Amino acid sequence: MAQTTVNPPGSDANIPPPPDEQGIGARVLSYIFDIRFLGVLGQIAFILLLIVGAQRIFSNFGSNVDKLGRAQFICRDGRFAYRCAYDFMETQAGFDIDDTVLDYVNTDSFWWALTNGIVNTFRVGLLALVATTFLGTVMGVARLSENWLVSKLSLAYIEIIRNTPILVQLLLLYFSVILALPDIKDAIQPLNLPIYLSNRGLIMAWPQFMSSAAIWLAFLVLGIIQFQVMWVYLSRREEKTGRESNKFGWGLAGFLLIALIGWFISASVSDNEGLLIADNARIDEVDDFDTVMLSRAGINHLSELETLPEEEITAVTLDVCVLRESSSEANFVNRLARKGIPFKISRNGSPAKAMDNYVDGSCEMFAAPVSILAAERATLENPNDHIIVPIDEQPLVWSIPRFERFNIIGGATLTPEYFALFLGLTIFYAGGLAEVVRAGILSVSKGQTEAARALGLSEGQRLNLIVLPQALRVIIPPLISTYLSLMKDTSLGVAVAFQDVYLVSQTLMNQSGRALQIMIILMLVYLAISLFFSSVLNWYNDRVVIVER
Amino acid sequence: MTAIMDGPEATKVSDVIVCRDVHKWYGDFEALKGVDLTVEAGEVVVILGPSGSGKSTFIRCMNRLEEHQEGRIIIDGIELTHDVRNISEIRREVGMVFQQFNLFPHLTVLDNITLAPINVRKWSRDRAEELAMKWLTRVGIPEQADKYPGQLSGGQQQRVAIARALTMQPKILLFDEPTSALDPEMISEVLDVMRDLAKAGYTIVAVTHEMGFAREVAQRIIFMDGGQIVEINSPENFFNNPTHERTKLFLSQILNH
Repeated sequence: MAQTTVNPPGSDANIPPPPDEQGIGARVLSYIFDIRFLGVLGQIAFILLLIVGAQRIFSNFGSNVDKLGRAQFICRDGRFAYRCAYDFMETQAGFDIDDTVLDYVNTDSFWWALTNGIVNTFRVGLLALVATTFLGTVMGVARLSENWLVSKLSLAYIEIIRNTPILVQLLLLYFSVILALPDIKDAIQPLNLPIYLSNRGLIMAWPQFMSSAAIWLAFLVLGIIQFQVMWVYLSRREEKTGRESNKFGWGLAGFLLIALIGWFISASVSDNEGLLIADNARIDEVDDFDTVMLSRAGINHLSELETLPEEEITAVTLDVCVLRESSSEANFVNRLARKGIPFKISRNGSPAKAMDNYVDGSCEMFAAPVSILAAERATLENPNDHIIVPIDEQPLVWSIPRFERFNIIGGATLTPEYFALFLGLTIFYAGGLAEVVRAGILSVSKGQTEAARALGLSEGQRLNLIVLPQALRVIIPPLISTYLSLMKDTSLGVAVAFQDVYLVSQTLMNQSGRALQIMIILMLVYLAISLFFSSVLNWYNDRVVIVER
Repeated sequence: MTAIMDGPEATKVSDVIVCRDVHKWYGDFEALKGVDLTVEAGEVVVILGPSGSGKSTFIRCMNRLEEHQEGRIIIDGIELTHDVRNISEIRREVGMVFQQFNLFPHLTVLDNITLAPINVRKWSRDRAEELAMKWLTRVGIPEQADKYPGQLSGGQQQRVAIARALTMQPKILLFDEPTSALDPEMISEVLDVMRDLAKAGYTIVAVTHEMGFAREVAQRIIFMDGGQIVEINSPENFFNNPTHERTKLFLSQILNH
């Protein structure tokens, strides 16, 4: 039986003849099936495919450009040149953007409109990114909680959110939650805070910097430097003596002290705010308003105002002119409101318009920065009949929303569109991030937790010092793609008509008829955003990963 | 069944571990079926037994890595209850060395050791590092202080883990099969350190399969099977003259293979 399978030593029965002794057919075949030859063949085939594909795309592009016509490339002087492809961007936009941070009017250029769109994209994207990180981490940790209710609630949240499309969630949020909020006259005001929630969005008190804020901010910077110095000094002392000290507490106390001193200094040195008023109004300083109001209403104390009939109050109400979007309004209005003096504000687009109202008597006074008032007073017929009363200012004033007729004035508004998009993105991506965080935490072995516990570390220390730093390595790569998706999905703002860069671009396309140029800009914008985020996060990722070995 | 059973009145001040009728269930499975043990200060106790006998579970109950459902465990006069203050107090006084070392891979050797003294004992970094270097020198690897655990051999990692436990200045040391995950040539370097600690008077409870170590170092040997203590004996009697049939079977299996 061994004869067939085992060859005696020295026999060549089971060894094939060398290749050059084989027949011609077998040799050709062995060249064709040579793995190196096949590899080169594959490369050539792929390059050919690429060339054919690129050629198709370019000819398609060329014929489309021809179809679009030379009108796409007309310079402003009427000549034709490809380099003028983007000249149309300098023409007037001609459409409104409701919700902008930068000053924008519809006579601004297409470029400026697009810039506002980009700012809006970042405004909603960055805030959603921060909120997503926070909510996602909390939900991911909650999912692993030993508390049954917490973990099941988190599970329900994650499963519902991850398994429904973000567009549906967004529309649901917008139409059946946010637009279903009460009208502005019945706005919800939680806990009597200066926050109003209505179908016009979220209106809340918002700090406004006055011109003296620059001095105060310098003090704040000084305070931060002080904090650092204090921290380093106390740490050194701690390491030397081994004596514990409350580094954070001392640093914070020093910071607050410097901030407070800075506040009073900048408030006392500033004299930028003023009030233009007729000399015969008998008002030389803000405190005179009390007496003037008392004599006008014929009462002895301001609190008696409430007892007067409404038309009498209307008669004595101060009519104040201010400039639209000026911080002088909040500063002056807060002063009157604190005293309980009734006032009516009329906002004007320019100093000249305010002065028209002042001259024809529809407002008694004009509150604005002193430099504007001085210039405007010089244009009056009898400048000496009018005086400029200085008004104190603090570096920061709260613009507090208040009801005026059927509207809420002042404060900052998050529009329903912004609010819906922000919430929608946050809720959706936090669901995905929660799973990423959970996977990261689970990737840290149970032994790590046991070692931390055996050493007596508290649960918080265990999470912060042991588990999260190790989980971070697993979390960061999928976190990057979550962030990128979130930033790109801000374009879903189109569903709720939030004017981000995508919706603005769409409008620009309709206005200009130049889809190709705008599409290219749009792609570059998103590409830049994505590359920026991924390079920052990859840099961070490299840093945390290398530490291990 | 149980060979030695101290009554409560037999407990002395020097008894640092007192376990009374400890029960532990995993669902329906009863892993510990009423275990009693008293360990004096400075005593070295080795727990032996076949796998699944509950010996690891038992010592892991002593610092609340596992929760016992019935019975009492009193460590250095503090009862192990659900009170988190007691739990953290006991964990501070009980050091543990694991089979898989469980060093923190993202921290250097020195940071691994000083983490708990700084964050739990609230020592200054200088003080913690001074003691850490002292222990690293004692376990023979002071030159590895700035490396990461992943760069060390298994035996070195386990010695770092021992230094980490000791820098917290615990009153009691628990060893949970400290040599089981090591290559044979590294076992002796870890056993040498443990022998050294036993001679220095530490209270040690060790679960191990190293019979030579048990015979040489232990003052008492505890044999567990099926979640119960079958026999408690001195090393000579345990190896040469076991009283219980189950013990004889176990010894014949491990000594005659």
